[in-house]
Amino acid sequence: MSVRNAILGLLAHRPRHGYELHDAFEAMVGGEQNWDIKPAQVYSTLNRLEQSGLVVEDGVAQDGGPEKRIYMVTDAGLAELRQWFNEPSLSDRRRDEFFLKLMLSLVVADGDPRRLIYTQRAGLYRELHALTAQRSQVNPASQLAYILLLDQAIMHLEADLRWLEMVEARLDEISRQPIPEPAERPRGRPPMDGNR
Amino acid sequence: MSIVKTEQLTKVYGQGATAVTALNRINMTIQPGEFVAVMGPSGCGKSTLLHLVGGLDQPTSGQVLLDDRSLSGLKDDDLTTLRRRQIGFVFQFFNLIPVLTAVENTALPLILDGMKQADAHNQAEVWLTRMGLGDRLSHRPDELSGGQQQRVAIARALVAEPTLLLADEPTGNLDSRAADEIAALLRQISHEWHRTVLMVTHDPRIAAHANRIVFLKDGTIVDDTRLSDDGQYEERVVREKMAVMA
Ligand SMILES: Nc1ncnc2c1ncn2[C@@H]1O[C@H](COP(=O)(O)OP(=O)(O)OP(=O)(O)O)[C@@H](O)[C@H]1O
Ligand SMILES: [Mg+2]
Repeated sequence: MSVRNAILGLLAHRPRHGYELHDAFEAMVGGEQNWDIKPAQVYSTLNRLEQSGLVVEDGVAQDGGPEKRIYMVTDAGLAELRQWFNEPSLSDRRRDEFFLKLMLSLVVADGDPRRLIYTQRAGLYRELHALTAQRSQVNPASQLAYILLLDQAIMHLEADLRWLEMVEARLDEISRQPIPEPAERPRGRPPMDGNR
Repeated sequence: MSIVKTEQLTKVYGQGATAVTALNRINMTIQPGEFVAVMGPSGCGKSTLLHLVGGLDQPTSGQVLLDDRSLSGLKDDDLTTLRRRQIGFVFQFFNLIPVLTAVENTALPLILDGMKQADAHNQAEVWLTRMGLGDRLSHRPDELSGGQQQRVAIARALVAEPTLLLADEPTGNLDSRAADEIAALLRQISHEWHRTVLMVTHDPRIAAHANRIVFLKDGTIVDDTRLSDDGQYEERVVREKMAVMA
């Protein structure tokens, strides 16, 4: 959904053909190391947007060829874009793979929750190191956008590390609590509702 | 050959019922040119480790080897000389002398070591310029920002061309921007000038500049993580590069 809407937005900025859209997207996000999309994904998205009446063809680039069809956004496309802007973008941090590992390491034989925490911490620090190195290569005078993007990732990693530290500090306490079990349900069929 | 090696390094403060084991049999090896961060909760022994590695304090048992030479075997005078020539120290508080200029502060270790003032000042200017302070040579500490004062302190720590730089919370007294700059500078000191850097910090952002993190807890190493090999060379290469610079 975000790639589709980003393509709408790039076309609302100015008409472009598929390959330009691919390159414009990657440039916007600071390169394929940050967000890698395939040209084929761009073309298929453009087809779907065209079928939905959100974009239309606006001529063919001078140097011709089927890949060089230029698209522009329609009024319906602009309305869709506006609606996207009007919604907050939230990610669900409660669906966390590490949390599952942690809970299960507390109950399975040979589970070593402390080692698990250290392994996770090491991974987060390696990521933080890589982003810090990437950030130091970016020119703040001309590439502020990438700095903002990298800072967002860096700040999330810092928060993850803080949380891990808290988990480690409370590990003994957690270990003494049984992991949550499903609530007891009555056996057999659910009773008929007699009050209707 | 490692630049720093600790063997069963142990430090107990006090005696009897009130004894505190600050370090408990630490075995750690650091290669030339590495940039290592030491992390862990308050009181876990980070500063104690740095002090013992730098010969500022004596272990209760075990030993520290610098360049394969045990510090335990050294006479006081030899230890003082080794500390002055081989090891640079940087602390959270910059410890600059208020009435001296940046050049004078930086040159001080050389002058104490018997170098002529003019030569010492030349060498101080070289390091201050490398630290980005070429236009602040005659400023006194109170005319410099916190970050700039810490750069002077780092120049002073490096002016005698030590192989090892020990830094205890070098960014602890700085705002986050100046802290990031100092961390990037320490990285440069390791990557471009091939000094070995051992830095204590509790700030993940600062530690992330290092190539390796040693995690302490209750006086023992609980984890030792390599973050990347960028800027790290083979030992032979580091020693050659240092020889060229000297
Ligand atoms: N000179 C001393 N006399 C007695 N105990 C000491 C002395 N120096 C340190 N300690 C104790 O040794 C332990 C380790 O201290 P150390 O200063 O090395 O911790 P640290 O990890 O540097 O902590 P922080 O993050 O707070 O600086 C602590 O329990 C401390 O109270
Ligand atoms: Mg300390």
